[in-house]
Amino acid sequence: MTARATTVHALHAARPRSRFLRFSAVGVAALVTWAWWAGRFDVADLFSARREANLMRFLEDVRPPALYGKPWDWGVALDWAATMFTSGHQGAAFELPSGWEALRITLAMSIAAIVLAGLVGLVAAFPAARTFATADAFLPGSERSSVARRRAWTALLIGTRGALLFVRSIPEYIWAYLLIGMLGISAWPAVVALALHNAGTLGKLDAETVENLSPRALRALRGAGASREQIAAFAAIPSALSRFLLYFFYRWETCVREATVLGMLGIVSLGYALNEARIRGRYHDMLFYVLMGALLVLIGDLVSAIARRAIRKA
Amino acid sequence: MPKSAAFDLDDVSVHFGNGPALHKVSLSIAPGEAVAFVGPSGAGKTTLLRLLNATLRPAGGCAAVDGRCLGEHTSAELRAVRARIGFVHQDLSLVPNLRVVQNVVAGRLGRMGLFASLRAMALPSHAEAERVHAILERVGIGEKLYERTDTLSGGQQQRVAIARALYQEPTAILADEPVSSVDPARARDTVALLTRISREEGLTLCMSIHNLELAREFFPRVVGLRRGQVMIDAAFADIDDAQFNKLYELTDNELLADGA
Amino acid sequence: MARSPVMRATLAIPRRPPPIRARGSVLLAILGLGVWAFLALDLTWAQVIPTAAGLRQIGEFFSYALRPALSYQPGEVPDGSPSLLVQALLSARLTLIFAVTAMSLSVVIGGVLGFLGSTAWWSGDASGSRTAIGRYARRTVAPAIYATTRVVITLMRSVHELIWAVLFLAALGLNDLSAVIAIAIPFGGTLAKIFSEMIDEAPRDAADALRGAGASGAQVFCLGLLPRALPDMSAYALYRLECALRSSAILGFFGWETLGYFVKQEWENADYDQVWTYLYTLLLLVVLVEWWSSGLRRRFVA
Repeated sequence: MTARATTVHALHAARPRSRFLRFSAVGVAALVTWAWWAGRFDVADLFSARREANLMRFLEDVRPPALYGKPWDWGVALDWAATMFTSGHQGAAFELPSGWEALRITLAMSIAAIVLAGLVGLVAAFPAARTFATADAFLPGSERSSVARRRAWTALLIGTRGALLFVRSIPEYIWAYLLIGMLGISAWPAVVALALHNAGTLGKLDAETVENLSPRALRALRGAGASREQIAAFAAIPSALSRFLLYFFYRWETCVREATVLGMLGIVSLGYALNEARIRGRYHDMLFYVLMGALLVLIGDLVSAIARRAIRKA
Repeated sequence: MPKSAAFDLDDVSVHFGNGPALHKVSLSIAPGEAVAFVGPSGAGKTTLLRLLNATLRPAGGCAAVDGRCLGEHTSAELRAVRARIGFVHQDLSLVPNLRVVQNVVAGRLGRMGLFASLRAMALPSHAEAERVHAILERVGIGEKLYERTDTLSGGQQQRVAIARALYQEPTAILADEPVSSVDPARARDTVALLTRISREEGLTLCMSIHNLELAREFFPRVVGLRRGQVMIDAAFADIDDAQFNKLYELTDNELLADGA
Repeated sequence: MARSPVMRATLAIPRRPPPIRARGSVLLAILGLGVWAFLALDLTWAQVIPTAAGLRQIGEFFSYALRPALSYQPGEVPDGSPSLLVQALLSARLTLIFAVTAMSLSVVIGGVLGFLGSTAWWSGDASGSRTAIGRYARRTVAPAIYATTRVVITLMRSVHELIWAVLFLAALGLNDLSAVIAIAIPFGGTLAKIFSEMIDEAPRDAADALRGAGASGAQVFCLGLLPRALPDMSAYALYRLECALRSSAILGFFGWETLGYFVKQEWENADYDQVWTYLYTLLLLVVLVEWWSSGLRRRFVA
């Protein structure tokens, strides 16, 4: 080997490497390979004659009833959709809510939930922020609290963070299912379920924002005699408000999406109508509510994008 | 392929959205020559360099590299021209989260196929690593071969950018304000390095530079630009301070703009 | 470059209203909509105050939070059934399998559509296209592909994964692959949207430098642009894996035997201690992935 080859070899051997990144790369590859192998997916079954027959029946059924066995006619189809939107389906055996009603209720659920989640997240952000939830928050180093006081604050910090982690790890759908069992069927379980999961997420994001606030201004206030609560209310919240609002709208988008399915648990809204139509084998009605849901999600995304742009500019 | 490039501009104009960036520029740069481009901001120095690098097309006139107008080239031929011209950017233009060796190897993409270049970037061969190391040693940072680029200091990153240009095995080096963001001592080192290497290799060197002292020290020839036109094109020895002052003189409009 | 002195001078004058007012009106709107929402839903406090029986149930459920079941009651399951912890691990395994396979599909979908749905691959410097066909491709075909991709991305995203699952159930019946695809479609759309934004927002300086060194369009994209966007893209994909785990768990409510299936089953049996076993298993999965992705993000940023 030439002298240069030796040097390059030595440099290569000593190159800085992140073991974590390497393990992550290998881990991802191994995980994906394992999952596809262990899943034992039956691809042939998906293309079997039984599935094909099922699919054909489904495709015939998604056409509006007036068009069964007839060539496609946009006029008839749109008339049918308009009727669904204004009055739904009132049969002797079962009823489906009008598209408008389902949209209105679903939207209201998402808004009620995100407002609750925003308030809870805002309040929880401070005991979950390392800079606030310590005994000597923003005090000069000379003043030290008692050990007991410091332990109490640490316990509050860990407790709040643990609670936020717990509520956001359980998906909205499972929360809603459990809450229906506890509270009975009304819009509350859906609203509370959405609010719980999103309060967990917003609380975490807001806490990170609070931790990243410049401590100098806050320390000056504390030095001027302001209490921890006053600092939070009159300094921290105003300066972090734009950030909070951005997160709020970003979470609201996901809230709208989730709200479209929570009804499947029995709360009268889009998901309920959709699932009811599926159970009754009325696939054309089901498709109508699917499209309503997509429309609602699109509107939500659009409103949120406009609001976030306005906040960014402000 | 000649060892060093010759540039000939004949009545070249370049337009951007808001007016001419270069207006009827005629300029001849011989193989192996070292030229400093000076002039106030917005005079067209960067545009001129991009034109020489064949990444801009003139709106009128002929900009020739080695005697052939750029307008006559196909896009593949244009890429071949660019591949032989090293460009050192003001903002360095490195990929910060890659290793130094990868950033330098990227200099020779123009002469590789897509898959060969992907391979070279992902796993540089021994031969490539050694070639890169030789160049890095020349610019004084051989030991940084496998470091992550964003862990290097500003001056060191600039040397990586120079090494990338040299790895192209260029026939010319174009440098756009390479010393505007480093301290004076580092700036002098960088200009000295670029002029020395170009002289040793016989490369044509064009550098736009704000610092007239440095330009005077290292470059025999100066081209002064103002508002897209060549105002000065002479040996440094023949130009006096009054002419430079006139080049940089502000009009009333520009005073207003700078004061805003 | 050429700059206009007049523009610069006017830019210095602030024209915007003070920021407080804009944020204030947004806050007011939120409060107003919140009130409307509560009225529209006929939400009364009476509904949330549970009955005595409901209260007992809630108390019982939460009393098991600190003592989840570690095994079945004797005689609860037939002999030879797996133990409770094994059953929890098995359902966690299936949850993970669905989430990982779905994410691997969505990363591919998101990568391809994210590329086609970004402006980086066609809106750049047009000096490469000298022929009429090249110009036509750049000016007409490429924007059409871009616009179509954006529409497809939006449609994929706007339907919730549970609705996709229900659609597949209706059209095909229960099959593990349809669960995977149900997650992969909306997640692929979301990844495509975020990926295309990350690609378009990545700094272009290195890409321009490579173009200046004679690199082709494909090389510029793969080696100048992509490496800059890749750390953000992988961090985001890992975050979505966390979401995929939750979605995969919920698919259990529709018959696939993931964690949600057992949460539902044990809740219906009123075996609350076992509900907690499955909830904690899900928590553990999610926390593991969250720890992993935050570790990655820290190292990428450093």
